[in-house]
Amino acid sequence: MAGMNRKSLRIGIAVAVVLGTIGYLAYTGQASAKSYYVTIAEMQKMGAKAYSSDLRVEGFVKPDTIRQDGPNVRFVLTEFESHNPKAQENPKQITVDYRGSEPPPDTFKNDAQALAIGTMGEDGVFHATQLQAKCASKYAPAGPQQSAAGAKMAANDGPGGVGGSAAGSGVSGAGR
Amino acid sequence: MKKLLLGAGFLGVAALMAWGFDQAMFVAPTEATMGDVQRIFYYHVPNAMLSFLFFAISFVASVLYLMWRRSAPERAQTADAWALAGAEVGVVFCSVVLVTGPLWARPVWGIWWTWDARLTTTLILWLIYVSYLLLRRFAEGAQTQALAAVLSIFGALDVPIVYMANRWWRTQHPAPVFGGGPDSGIKDPVMLAAFGWNLLAWAVWGLMLLGVRVMVERRKQRIELAASQAALAER
Repeated sequence: MAGMNRKSLRIGIAVAVVLGTIGYLAYTGQASAKSYYVTIAEMQKMGAKAYSSDLRVEGFVKPDTIRQDGPNVRFVLTEFESHNPKAQENPKQITVDYRGSEPPPDTFKNDAQALAIGTMGEDGVFHATQLQAKCASKYAPAGPQQSAAGAKMAANDGPGGVGGSAAGSGVSGAGR
Repeated sequence: MKKLLLGAGFLGVAALMAWGFDQAMFVAPTEATMGDVQRIFYYHVPNAMLSFLFFAISFVASVLYLMWRRSAPERAQTADAWALAGAEVGVVFCSVVLVTGPLWARPVWGIWWTWDARLTTTLILWLIYVSYLLLRRFAEGAQTQALAAVLSIFGALDVPIVYMANRWWRTQHPAPVFGGGPDSGIKDPVMLAAFGWNLLAWAVWGLMLLGVRVMVERRKQRIELAASQAALAER
């Protein structure tokens, strides 16, 4: 019986070690795994490091700033969605210059939450090699007008959903 | 009689899944920002929720197996059959999640895959239970069931981590649809109904699969037991 107790004790210790490790990882990971992306404010606090690291910056596409030229896009990434009541007077924002082999996804449009992957240039422009949209998990039916856009999206015919804002107008070559 | 019941059951499940498909593809309205691609949701999320359920069944059955292994060997064998069946059906559902996820991500995020916490932990969960199934298939000897039970318990520890991943950490994956804050949820009752029907249909299908697998596994155990007893008697 004593042997049984010792065995249970050992199993108990092993379980405690495993659960403790997982708990510790979860706890410390909470800080470090935030690094999947940084906000604009966090990037601007990074100082010189921002210019030398590969970053994934999160923000919202400022309405009517998208200038698309083939797959390349130039736009302003801002801290808040334009209808967000918490939006401040002078939001932190950056200009993003995206050059890639393919156009951004159809969900990339005015006020969309987006992630730009690339590096911050000394010229003050963020040079992105990849753009990802981040979708809310709030689902609402499309209105009568929007359903046409939805159908267009499904057909996947080119850069639909760029919000109709100045699609195709030239990108000024000021990027690099 | 048993076969007739089983056949009727399968027909019922097939009808329920066809109904669910109709709800998801034709009845539910097109989503405003994502368009028709969002209909993947009616498969992706129910399958994810149910994969958690089946891994949980495997977890509980594995704990019971380890508890009863010495004291009640017959009951332990039943528990082991449930543990195996739960892991198998869980892997099927988790595979559906891992296939529908990228199909949805590509058009709406612009990428097939990314190593964020939600996606990575889900892939790890899948890998753990695939290795569980491999262990059960290829390992031989008296300790296989016990080893598998321990692996299933460890695998199940990943379930709450997957579940909490997009609550604890910043992820590419969106916040949970249900209980994910003000920027989540389904406002439309028809969409909600389509989700409910598919959750029900996949749950019934999965539980039926689980039941059949447990029955087959129990039968296999009895045959093996009879064979080993016969071999002992011959000596």
